[in-house]
Amino acid sequence: MAWTWFHRLASPPHIYRVAGRLTPWLAWPAAALIVAGLIGGLVLAPPDYQQGDGYRIIYVHAPSAWMSLLVYSTMAVAAAIGLIWRMKVAHAVAASCAPIGASFTFAALVTGSLWGAPMWGTYWQWDPRLTSELILLFLYFGYMGLRSAFDDVQRADRVSAVLAVVGVVNVPIIHYSVTWWNSLHQAPSVMRLGEPTMPPSMLVPLLMMLLGFTLFFGALLLVRVRGEVLSRERTASWIREALQP
Amino acid sequence: MSNSGAIGQDPAARVRAHETSAARTRNGGESSVSALTAARLILARDLKLAFRKRSQLVQPLAFFAIVTTLFPLGVSPELSRLRPMAAGVVWAAALLSSLLALELLFRDDAQDGTLEQYALSGRSLTWLLAAKTAAHWLLTGLPLALMAPLAGMALGAPPAAVPGIIASVAVGTVALSLIGSIGAGLTLGIRRSGALLSLLTLPLEIPVLIFGARATELAIGGAAYGVPLQLLAALAVLGLTLAPLAASAAVRINLE
Amino acid sequence: MSAFLDMGGYAAYVWPSYAVTLAVIALNIVWAQRLLKRSRKEALRRLTIGGTEA
Repeated sequence: MAWTWFHRLASPPHIYRVAGRLTPWLAWPAAALIVAGLIGGLVLAPPDYQQGDGYRIIYVHAPSAWMSLLVYSTMAVAAAIGLIWRMKVAHAVAASCAPIGASFTFAALVTGSLWGAPMWGTYWQWDPRLTSELILLFLYFGYMGLRSAFDDVQRADRVSAVLAVVGVVNVPIIHYSVTWWNSLHQAPSVMRLGEPTMPPSMLVPLLMMLLGFTLFFGALLLVRVRGEVLSRERTASWIREALQP
Repeated sequence: MSNSGAIGQDPAARVRAHETSAARTRNGGESSVSALTAARLILARDLKLAFRKRSQLVQPLAFFAIVTTLFPLGVSPELSRLRPMAAGVVWAAALLSSLLALELLFRDDAQDGTLEQYALSGRSLTWLLAAKTAAHWLLTGLPLALMAPLAGMALGAPPAAVPGIIASVAVGTVALSLIGSIGAGLTLGIRRSGALLSLLTLPLEIPVLIFGARATELAIGGAAYGVPLQLLAALAVLGLTLAPLAASAAVRINLE
Repeated sequence: MSAFLDMGGYAAYVWPSYAVTLAVIALNIVWAQRLLKRSRKEALRRLTIGGTEA
């Protein structure tokens, strides 16, 4: 019984239809949360004890960094499912994740460097979190580069899936070693707030942004997966029906 | 690359011959060639073949020497200025040299069909690739570990640091060969894969670089380097258990 | 209002950060939609060329 549900979920025409219908249910709440978070973070939250208004970058930096890791994990899980159960849809999800993750990793790097700049006096420091994000960006590029090196989509799917799984095992190791490396040289991390604990007026907009970005990721995935599924399907029978507007 | 000699001498062919005879025995029973024996045969084969092209063996080492030389030329001839960066330079050069030799890890065997034979042989491809990776380390990593103290001393390291440098680079290059084998397996069918191979492999090797350079740096400074060396060894062991598996998955996909 | 825009002196860091992030969000929306549109067009083209393909 549960197996037929799972099997149906995996079928491309089903995914195409369901994804299309679900998208607004994720997209609009995402938009609302992000707007609310922006207002809360920029206007309503009080200035920080140490960093004044400069800390407000956290409302875009933290969600971006969160996205960079969330998306990579999703990509790896989808890749593993695609490898183990040979589900085309899972591979489509993994393929869709990469550009999203890479772009938010880039955003995390830029916002992180801008956040530290007034404190550091330079636009870049080998801060452990920024260094980890940079390496993550390289991992994304490697994944996308490997995919594009194959003409055959099936092979691209499966080879890059192995890379994604290897990468996800490595991410915690990389993070640990970079933190360890940084601590040896006692460089202070400035991306921390002066407040001992975050008051709700600061915390709530942050949570809204985190949730809003997550839902946004879901909506983006739904749109992209539909396109990926279409381009992977050769037999046209369901496509003809699905594409009649 | 010249094909191996007479069928009777070629270990790969002997593995295949053993396999067909084993197939005639009762299935599921003991085969006459265990995975370990097959691995040993392949290790011997790879080493033998590599020694036929000695010039190719030397290239990664020459590359290592040249890269090391770039730094004094680019920075300063003063050893006092070089010594603080000696560990990092040695390790960066080692990573790049190890990469150089990676392309050849599977390529020749993929081209002449040997790799496919391994995959079809019924023997665990994981073990066979582990054997090839071991050969790669013996041919690249170990020589690098022996050369590294020379590079270190050229950059200002004291002679007392030699054992520590050898130990750290030897253990680290094991991990590098293993991680590299994954990259080589992934890019098997891709032409001119050099840049992509580097892009894939180097980020994964960064923890090795961090712990290895730290161990080497401590050794150069005369301090105890046990902690980072153990972390390095842990990475090598992790690589030993996981990398051949991932590499064989990648190779199988690419051979389909 | 100008105090808001000034962001306590951090304006040069805060506003570009928000701009970049919102640009990335917008870029993702456009990119995803464009990809879907292209896939649909491709699929329709394959349909008109020849029924079910191998």
